Amino acid sequence: MAERPEQGGHAALIVAPAPHVGIPGSTAGMTWSVVGALAPAAAWGIFMFGAAAVFVLVVSVGTAVLAELLCCLVSGRMTLSDGSAVLTGLVIGLLLSAGCPLYVPAAAAAFAILVVKQSFGGLGRNWMNPALAGVVFAQLSWGASMARWLPARGVAESGGLPPLDALRAAFSTTGWSGRTPLAVLASSGYTFSGLDATVVQWVNAHVLSIVGVSLRPGFFDLLVGHVTGAIGTICVPLLVLGAVALLRRGVMRWQVPVAFLSSFVVLAFLFGGLSTGQGWFAGGAGFQLFSGSLVLTAFFAATDPVTSPLGLRGRWVYGIGLGVLAFVMRFYGSLGDGIPVALVMGNCFVPLIDRATPRRQPENARKGVA
Amino acid sequence: MTYSQSPSKGGVNPPDDSFVSRSLRIANAAVPSLAVIPLLQHVGAAARCVVQPGDHVREGMLIGAADGPISANVHSSIPGRVVEIRTLRLPDGAICPSVVVELGGEFEASGKPPKELPWENLSRQDVLQKIQAAGVVGLGGELFPTHVKLAVAPGATVSLFVANGVDSDPALSADFVLLREKPLQIVQALRICKFLLAPTRTVLALGSNAEELVSIYERALREASLDCQIVVLPSRYPQGHEQLVLGSVGDGGTQTSSVILNVGTLYAIYEAVVLGKPLIERIVTVTGAPIKGPRNLKVRIGTRIGELFEECGGLSGPVGKVVIGNAMRGLAVESTETAVTKGTTGVVVFGPREARTRTEWPCIRCGSCIEACPWDLVPTRLYKLIKQGDLVTAEKEGLSRCTGCGCCAYACPSHIPLAAVLQDGMSTRRQVPRG
Repeated sequence: MAERPEQGGHAALIVAPAPHVGIPGSTAGMTWSVVGALAPAAAWGIFMFGAAAVFVLVVSVGTAVLAELLCCLVSGRMTLSDGSAVLTGLVIGLLLSAGCPLYVPAAAAAFAILVVKQSFGGLGRNWMNPALAGVVFAQLSWGASMARWLPARGVAESGGLPPLDALRAAFSTTGWSGRTPLAVLASSGYTFSGLDATVVQWVNAHVLSIVGVSLRPGFFDLLVGHVTGAIGTICVPLLVLGAVALLRRGVMRWQVPVAFLSSFVVLAFLFGGLSTGQGWFAGGAGFQLFSGSLVLTAFFAATDPVTSPLGLRGRWVYGIGLGVLAFVMRFYGSLGDGIPVALVMGNCFVPLIDRATPRRQPENARKGVA
Repeated sequence: MTYSQSPSKGGVNPPDDSFVSRSLRIANAAVPSLAVIPLLQHVGAAARCVVQPGDHVREGMLIGAADGPISANVHSSIPGRVVEIRTLRLPDGAICPSVVVELGGEFEASGKPPKELPWENLSRQDVLQKIQAAGVVGLGGELFPTHVKLAVAPGATVSLFVANGVDSDPALSADFVLLREKPLQIVQALRICKFLLAPTRTVLALGSNAEELVSIYERALREASLDCQIVVLPSRYPQGHEQLVLGSVGDGGTQTSSVILNVGTLYAIYEAVVLGKPLIERIVTVTGAPIKGPRNLKVRIGTRIGELFEECGGLSGPVGKVVIGNAMRGLAVESTETAVTKGTTGVVVFGPREARTRTEWPCIRCGSCIEACPWDLVPTRLYKLIKQGDLVTAEKEGLSRCTGCGCCAYACPSHIPLAAVLQDGMSTRRQVPRG
């Protein structure tokens, strides 16, 4: 490499094929920025669940990194710096309850890295999202341990269940005894925080009374993530914040999450009430949207380019398909909140979608390129 | 008369530092003391050497004669003595003899006011003869002998003639500066081309980064009462590519009856026909971070590119890579001794940091290359097919449409050399019989 100009020419110029310029970012940089975008939601989870959440996250990220390191030693290729192992570990941890035994994150992360990712050839070659496949693996293996919830800070009196699980429990014991999911929860004795009561009361009295509507108790807790649930999933606004930052930087594309969430919401609104005997147009779509791992999965797992279709049309098909699968698995499935298994099922269809949505024949071809 | 067109699909916006070189007038580079003039500076057969070591040559004298139907004359760019006929490997890998001329003697043409010769009374054949004699080739980089392009077969009609003034790369401003400084000459050349081709429709295509040229040319064309439409195209790379310009300007008709010439070539046609001057110099954009004063230089063919750096105020730091052409598809040279040829549209210099090869990551199927490709290819898929050696499938999926524009590799966040591998695959494919 030429370090300084020499007289009469420049020694050893670099010769490389064109182009000699490129976009500023890199794949590794993109992965690390996704890790960064998840940090606020992770911090909220740690704040709400305390040290237990830290343990789960440390074990899941640590196991993922160790597993990746093991594969690096075997293959002789150092791939830790691409950030994908840390991201996988982080997503797994965020999708778990802070109360679950620590062998769950360890096993899920090890399965994700060793089986789902590296045995298929590492980053870019896995056909399932490693993190979500790891979570599904854990759900199938230790379903009961994974449902061991830790009550969030300030909402201990709720019985320690996430709203979605509490709704299921209420439905199985007392039936659908209200108009909306929050009303059912309220009538089943599920309590929300004092802050929620204050805020909802104030908004109802001072803002919404003007237009003659009112919010249910619990609305505020659900909105800001002041509820029990998986560590990283409870605070939807922080997840959306991270996603918007990635969208603005061009790291993430909007088509899949938009198609995913909107098809899910539409289906939940139309048919969500059927399974509870509420009939049509009574699915409590808003409650469903803010519950469980839906938002985190839609923005941070469904957008994983490795396990998404290549083309734009394929991405729309994939997103809508994920919404359908998520609806079916949440309302009629038996595996947790149904979202991780829906995503992993969606991954299985990606090669098929790629095949079924070929590139249209370009106009340039017709114009007789010499 | 003037209208804008929506962009072709795909493309990228590579960094553009041309605002400096755009603002300055074309400067004459110093006459080199030694000119290294390759005899293959065009598409087709190399010119036949007609001088011997020791011969004295005048400025603009023929030193290589066109050899065969597709070839072009080569002239000495300086007066002096032939010191050597050297066989050199050109940056694109071609090997050809080069005439090395040492400066000496008297300048017969330079420094004297140019005298315009009337050409209106000449026949088409005579005008073509003048263009051929001057060794004019496509100066946008395509290097096809211009007299072949402008020769219309008897009975054939040309439906569209396009003067392409859209920069091949927004960072290269040579065409823009030429258009701004020489409107009368360009309009004259347009008139010559219209005379030769008798096209149904004539278009001057300009880039959207050159809006100030529109009013200049509207006026120049009106004063010359020349029927020519101005079309403004988005200057997003690679909009200046001939096929994309024709695709945007044309009305969907067949391109077989279209002729497109770069504006640099038009100026060379003007010089050949009106001034009787052979093609011995061209405008070169010299730019890049280590260049202190990027600008457009009028450079004699055969000047070694290292000498151009001094013309631009010297270097502000170490050099890592020197590229002839543009940053998107130019060739990196091994040495600054490489000579400027008829095809040298620009010289782009990179510092050691910009020149380093970036870490390559695995393909994550992000689809950026697909969005960037102006030719509707799936570069990542073609790359994998070529790496597997399956060139037949790659061709079925459109490999032959790849023009090497470099957009896919530019856009790839994993820094995979997609464009280079695709071009490799194409040249391999051409060498093996079709199966």
